[in-house]
Amino acid sequence: MHSILKTSLAALVTAGVVASSAAADGHGLSGELNISSDMSNPAPRAVMEGLAADFDALHPNLTVNLTIVDREAWKTQIRNSLGANPPDVVNWYAANRMRPFVDAGLFADISDLWAEPEFEALASTKGAMTLDGAQWGVPYTYYQWGVYYRKDIFAEYGLSEPTNWEEEKANCQTLLDNGIKCYTIGTKFLWTAGGWFDYINSRTNGYDFHVALARGEIEWTDPRVAQTFANWRELIDMGAFIDDHQTYSWQEALPFMVNGEAASYLMGNFSVAAFRDGGLTDDQLDFYQFPVINPDVDYAEDAPTDTFHIASGAQNMDAAKEFLRFVTSADVQTEINSGSGLGQLPVNANSSIDDDKFLQEGFEMLSNNAGGGIMQFFDRDFDAEMASVGMEGLQEFMVFPDNLDDILARLEETRQRIYN
Amino acid sequence: MFPTPLAKTSRSWQISYQVLLPIMLIIWLLPLIAVANFSIKPESDFVNGNYWGIPSSFEAFNNYGKVFFESNMPRYLWNSLFITIPTVIGAVALSCMAGFALGVYKFKGNLMIFFIFIAGNFVPFQILMVPVRDLTVSMNLYDTKTGLVLFHIAFQTGFCTLFMRNFIRALPFPLIEAARVEGIAEWKIFLYVVLPLMKPALAALAVLIFTFIWNDYFWAVVLTQGPDAQPVTAGITEFNSQFRAAYHLMSAGSIVAALPPVAMFFLMQKHFIAGLTLGAVK
Repeated sequence: MHSILKTSLAALVTAGVVASSAAADGHGLSGELNISSDMSNPAPRAVMEGLAADFDALHPNLTVNLTIVDREAWKTQIRNSLGANPPDVVNWYAANRMRPFVDAGLFADISDLWAEPEFEALASTKGAMTLDGAQWGVPYTYYQWGVYYRKDIFAEYGLSEPTNWEEEKANCQTLLDNGIKCYTIGTKFLWTAGGWFDYINSRTNGYDFHVALARGEIEWTDPRVAQTFANWRELIDMGAFIDDHQTYSWQEALPFMVNGEAASYLMGNFSVAAFRDGGLTDDQLDFYQFPVINPDVDYAEDAPTDTFHIASGAQNMDAAKEFLRFVTSADVQTEINSGSGLGQLPVNANSSIDDDKFLQEGFEMLSNNAGGGIMQFFDRDFDAEMASVGMEGLQEFMVFPDNLDDILARLEETRQRIYN
Repeated sequence: MFPTPLAKTSRSWQISYQVLLPIMLIIWLLPLIAVANFSIKPESDFVNGNYWGIPSSFEAFNNYGKVFFESNMPRYLWNSLFITIPTVIGAVALSCMAGFALGVYKFKGNLMIFFIFIAGNFVPFQILMVPVRDLTVSMNLYDTKTGLVLFHIAFQTGFCTLFMRNFIRALPFPLIEAARVEGIAEWKIFLYVVLPLMKPALAALAVLIFTFIWNDYFWAVVLTQGPDAQPVTAGITEFNSQFRAAYHLMSAGSIVAALPPVAMFFLMQKHFIAGLTLGAVK
C-alpha cells in the first residue's frame, strides 16, 4: 500500500511537470516522429495517411514518417518492431491485449496524458486502457455490438424489441413456432460464440464479475459461471440457433438472416454494411441492446477499441504525446470515424457522429446506457491462450451442451496453468 | 502392365467410359469452376447465399476492373515477375555449370557432392522456415524481393543440378573428347559444345521452375509482407478486409494470378512434359 501511494504520488508529480512542459513547447516540436500503423485496409489506410499528413502540416519543424503494416502481419510483427529500434507511436488494441507489452516494459506509461482535463471526454474507455493502475494508450475508434434483427419479420408476428430475458425467449418461441430460427451465427472461427458468452455472462453476473473472470481471478467451475451457461442453454435447448453453425464463418451465416430463415444476429456494427449489400433496407433491419437477464446488474457492452500507444523506447516523446492528444481531440475523432473514413464510433464524447441510425443508436447506447462498463470482446479481454481454449469450449458447448462439465473442467485446468 | 486399350474393350464399357469421363472431369474441376463463377458475381450474392447458382448480375468487368485498377494487384504481378524471372535465370545458370562439373569431370568427392545435392531435396522445406527467416532478417533482406530471389535460387539449385547433371551424363561423351583433342578450352567446350545440346533440358527446366516459383505461397508469406515485395500469390489476401472477405474479388484475383503459369503451360506444353520425365530414366 505504501509503495502504491508513493508511485502514484510520483506519477502525479511527473504528470504535472510533463503536462506543463508539454504545453509550453507544444508548438515547438521538431525532429522526426515515426509511426507504425496497422490500418492497412483501403479506407482506414487513407484515414491514417490523412492523420499523419495533417499532423505533419501542423508542425512545420517536425517530419512525420508513417509505416503501414498489414493488419494481420502486425499482430506478430509488433514484437520485433517494439523490441529493437522502435518507432515512436504504434497501433494496437485495448485491454488485456496490451498485457504482454506492458509487462515487458515496451509501452510507455502515459497516465500523465490521461490526467489532463481534455481526456475526461474519453472516460468510457479509460478502464479498458488501464492496467496495473496506469494508462498505456489512447483509443481512436470503437464500434458497438448488439442484436441486429429483421424488423419486418418481427412486425409480421407482432413482436417488439425485448428488454428482458423472458421477452427475449417469448419472442424466440413465437419465431420458432413459425419455422424461423431466432439467431443466425457462424462459429467456425469460434469468436462469434465469444460474443454470446460476453453478453450472457455480463448480464447474468455483471461487468465486474466478467472482468474478474477474464483476469483469471475466478474459477470456471464457479456456480455463477454455471448459471451463465444455464441461461445460454435455455436458448440452445429451444433450438434458437441455426443448425450446423460450426461449419459457417460469420459471413456465411449472413444469408440465413438476409433470406428470412433466421430473424436476428448478435454481431458488431460492421455487419450493417454486409446486410445492406445483401439488399436489406433500413426498414427491414434494426438494432436492439442485448436484453437484461439479471435486473440487479447494469448493462455492460462489447465495444472493441482500437488504440495508439507510445513505445517506451520512443526517440521523440514530446511529439508522440502531442500526436496522441491530436488523435483523441473531438474534431479529429469526428472526422476519422465519419462514413467516408472508418464508419465507426468516435470515443470522444464531444465528437459528433454520422447521420446513420445504427451509429447514432450505438453512440447513444455506449455513451449513456452502458453503466456497467465497456468490454473489449472475449479474445481481447481474456489472456490470449485462455481465449483460444475458451472459445473452443464455447463452440463445443453450443453444439454439445451436455459436455458442459467436461468443458468447464478443461477451462479451469487451463486457467490454473496460465494464471498461476 | 498397361491397361487394355479402350478400342479393344466391350461396347458397353466404351459407352459407360464416355459417359463417366465428362462427369468425372466436372467433379474434378468443380473448385475451379466455382472460382470462375465467383469471379463474375456481385458481392450481394455472397450475402444472399447464392454461392453455386447463376450470378444475379454479370459483374465480370466490374470485378476484374477493380482487381486491375483499384487494388495493388498490378504491383503484386510485377513483383511476381521480378521474383520469378531472376530466380529462373539464376537457378538454371548455376545448375548448368554445377551439372557440367559433376557430369563431366572425375574428381574426388564428385559423387559425394552429387549426393549432397540430392539429399537437399529430401529436406522438407518447412523446417527451414525459422532459420531462413532469421537469416534474411539479419542480412537485411527481410521483406525484399532480393531476399526471396536469393533464397529461391539457393533452394531450387539442388533439384536443378540433379536434373542437369543426369542430362549431361546422358550426352555422348566422345563429343567432349573430340573437342579436347582439338585443344579447345574447357569453358569453351561448355559454352559451344555442351550448352547447345542442353537446349531441351534448359527449356524444360525453365518452364518447371517458373511454375514452381510463381505458385510459391509459403516463402512469400514467410519472407515478405506488404505490396513492396510480396508476389501475387500472397497479395491476394489483400482482398480480406478487416471484417469481411471479398470472395468475388479474391476469385477474380486468383484467376488473374493463375493465368501466367497456365499460359506458360499451354505455350510450352512439349517442354513441360519433357521436364517431368527427363532424367527419370538415365
